[in-house]
Amino acid sequence: MARMAPGESQAWSWTARGWASRSFLPQPPPPISTVNDAEVSHFSRLSALWWDERGEFALLHKMNPHRIRFIREKVLEVLQAQPDAMSAAAPASSTHIPPSLESPRVLEGMDVLDVGCGGGILSESLARLGANTLAIDASAENIGIATRHAAADPGLTCSAASASATLSFRHVTAETLVQEPKRFDIVCSMEVVEHVDNPAAFLRSCAELVKPGGHLFLSTIARTPLSYLLTIMAAEKVFRLVEPGTHTFSKFVNPEELIGFFTKPLMPGARPWISRTYAHGLPTRIEAEVRGIVYLPWRGDWVLAPRETTPWSTQANYLFWVRKPIE
Amino acid sequence: MRGASSNIRRAVRVACRRRGSPQVLWRYFSDSGTDAPGHEDCDVVVVGGGPAGLALASALASKRTLRGSVKVTLVEGSDLSKIYNWDLPPDAFSNRVVSLTNATLDFLDEIGAWTHVDVERTCPIEEMQVWDGISDARMDFNAAALGISRRGGSNQMARLTETLNLQRGLLRRLREQPNVTLLDNTKVMNISEDDIPGGAWPMVQLSDGVTLRARLLVGADGINSPVRSYSKIDSYGWDYPTCAIVATLLHPPRTFRPNTCAYQRFLPTGPIAFLPLSPTASSLVWSTSPALAAVLTKTDPAVLTSMINAAFRLPEVSVRYLHGHLLDVPSLSPDDLRAEISFREQAHAIAPYSALASANVHPAEAGVGIPDEGAHGLPPLVADIQPGTVASFPLRFRHAEAYIGNRTALIGDAAHVIHPLAGQGLNLGLGDAAALARCIQTAVMHGGDIGSRTALVPYTRERYFENHKMMSAVDKLHKLYASTAPPLVWARSTGVEVLNELDTLKAGIIGAAGGRSSAHSVPGSPWEMVAGGVETLVSGTRVMGAVGTGLRSVAGGILQQLGRVASGPGKDQRE
Ligand SMILES: Cc1cc2nc3c(=O)[nH]c(=O)nc-3n(C[C@H](O)[C@H](O)[C@H](O)COP(=O)(O)OP(=O)(O)OC[C@H]3O[C@@H](n4cnc5c(N)ncnc54)[C@H](O)[C@@H]3O)c2cc1C
Repeated sequence: MARMAPGESQAWSWTARGWASRSFLPQPPPPISTVNDAEVSHFSRLSALWWDERGEFALLHKMNPHRIRFIREKVLEVLQAQPDAMSAAAPASSTHIPPSLESPRVLEGMDVLDVGCGGGILSESLARLGANTLAIDASAENIGIATRHAAADPGLTCSAASASATLSFRHVTAETLVQEPKRFDIVCSMEVVEHVDNPAAFLRSCAELVKPGGHLFLSTIARTPLSYLLTIMAAEKVFRLVEPGTHTFSKFVNPEELIGFFTKPLMPGARPWISRTYAHGLPTRIEAEVRGIVYLPWRGDWVLAPRETTPWSTQANYLFWVRKPIE
Repeated sequence: MRGASSNIRRAVRVACRRRGSPQVLWRYFSDSGTDAPGHEDCDVVVVGGGPAGLALASALASKRTLRGSVKVTLVEGSDLSKIYNWDLPPDAFSNRVVSLTNATLDFLDEIGAWTHVDVERTCPIEEMQVWDGISDARMDFNAAALGISRRGGSNQMARLTETLNLQRGLLRRLREQPNVTLLDNTKVMNISEDDIPGGAWPMVQLSDGVTLRARLLVGADGINSPVRSYSKIDSYGWDYPTCAIVATLLHPPRTFRPNTCAYQRFLPTGPIAFLPLSPTASSLVWSTSPALAAVLTKTDPAVLTSMINAAFRLPEVSVRYLHGHLLDVPSLSPDDLRAEISFREQAHAIAPYSALASANVHPAEAGVGIPDEGAHGLPPLVADIQPGTVASFPLRFRHAEAYIGNRTALIGDAAHVIHPLAGQGLNLGLGDAAALARCIQTAVMHGGDIGSRTALVPYTRERYFENHKMMSAVDKLHKLYASTAPPLVWARSTGVEVLNELDTLKAGIIGAAGGRSSAHSVPGSPWEMVAGGVETLVSGTRVMGAVGTGLRSVAGGILQQLGRVASGPGKDQRE
């Protein structure tokens, strides 16, 4: 459960630039808590190091461009296949031309939510691609770090008061945010689902925050012998690439579990997000997609595995995309 | 507080400074609105308006994806309008000449700059003749034979261009590109980190009082790079005990072939190169001892002319003698020198009609009638030197230990300085500019912060090792050819020792080292080309017979040992 630390409101005051104004605080405890206290304090300790690109979070920094590439590709794929299918992506006034592959601001005009934003690595990139970004985190300290970092960047507008608002941060959980009316064209939650206590409830909240026809992007780690070897044995214990205790193997989520989750109706009577899967358990590409992302130590970089290599490339880290039915 | 009004003031000031210059090359700072008091925010600040800096600015501005999203400001201490307005008659040439590889030309084409270069003033190199000053073992690179050509162009392996012609072309291109603000006559006085929490961005203090805050600060600021110092990046290297003399050489047109062959003779004191510019003008780059360079740059042009002709023709022992003699008698008259050379020619049994003769031959008559057999392997006789073009500069080796720092990146001479013997220095710098522009584009596409390490690492990855390979190959060749020890001369003449370096150089020349190899231009494997080169070397040795016959029959085991000996000096000096 995310509890307010003493002195929290003071620390909060300098994040009030975001549209998370004080009126949301203090918040009532979330109805279902999926946030694990031990994990929150663990990351809070580390959050000062978030933006050291060669430090503890180096792997995450390196992974970021590849995650963004996946988001770009999927969003463009959907826009180009069904230009008018995107819920509110296009300003109603203009006849929307799908952004070209070379266009940097592919998320222009979209409302994007980053759940579990940490220090804001992904959130800043989303905002630079033109997205109207709201980034939330269960750790107040993370929100502090993320806000401070983004504020130092003159290219990012953190103030929602002006119409050009692009990036704001809030210390709030998905479960709380879902009680507000706002819904998003894209909801991302990267490297989060393996850290929460109640993944099903967490996923349901994330899913509910997506507008009809919108996208949900997740990234996590599969629960396989390989991922144990790589993420816990190698990365935490042997090479200390990440702080020991960062991951709990039993919380890792397999791709087929995510696919299974979205193949069932999320609410009684609702249409499932994935209507069918092929013999090998993979969904059709217009409904959902699983892509492996593999770290190559000799290159010092990640690669987004080609589509054809799924499922064998999704034995450890992978990205998941699913689209909400338009209804 | 610096608001819109001060921006306008500044714009007016910039415009005023330009009065009298007809070109509107200079733009105003746009009011970005997010500027904090006391500074102006820029996405990319490039320090240095040399070829590398200008090419980077132009490459960034030419990328469609970056238009409107990346604001570029280039700061240069000197007056760029002088280069913009540079103009010489068609038969006069500047003494700073660079050889642009096909890969570099493709890049300049891509960014739209090459069309602004006066092509009439450039010259294709279709052939290169390189030979050993001692053994005369010779390598002949022929673009047509190697099948090297430019996309839809002639059989050329490179194109000689005056640096000023290139820089002017880049400036003309930049004039069409509104995304770049050029601030010339403006020096970077100091660079410090900003004190915004979570920031530590470079604050660049300019000589006109303005401070720029850079998301990415690029050092294209030459060998003493202030950006490199700010980044606390060390640069290792040494000064060669040599200087390069440059000059524009005038000669009669060649009758039996176009002036499109470059010649380079490796003398133990350093290579002397003849680089064609037009049918009647060529450029000299002669690396030699600083003492000799000092004399040669001050002497009567007629003396220099004779010394150049002799340096390409006389046996090494006599060239060495002449150098010593000139150092002893710096005031040597042209006639005395000619007599000395004539005496040496007789001593070496060089017939007056031979291509190797220069003392008593009038350059204009050398090419008349049936040319001597050896004429193909030698540059035309130099008749005169274009006044005011003789200069010399020190030769150095420098390599920065890293190309990126905290929101900084280094390109061109700021990152590396190389011996000019392979004509690769500027090509490496332009290769850096191309790679960094690509890297920035990729980062922008992925929503990256272009000043971040994550965004810049691909640039280092693409360039550092590639540059290092070329730099050590060139350095090793320089040191190897500086030796007169018979085993070394033999080893290099048979290609044993220079195989790898030649491979790197060839790759550089055909463009593979420029980051993109154009497969269509390379026939067969690089190995086949190297093998061809070695064959020429070996046969050259056999014909010339300059190296003892005994040496040539040594068994393979000794050969390996020689290899080790040969690589020794290079390593020692490096430590
Ligand atoms: C005298 C000389 C002669 C040469 N001749 C030849 C030749 O004949 N052929 C050949 O191939 N190569 C030659 N070279 C080498 C060649 O010039 C370089 O390799 C090439 O210029 C490198 O380009 P660059 O853009 O990296 O750096 P540079 O051309 O060195 O450009 C650096 C720029 O940064 C600017 N700068 C530096 N500090 C500041 C500051 N604090 N504020 C503002 N501006 C600043 C300088 O004014 C300069 O314009 C010569 C070099 C020298 C020094």
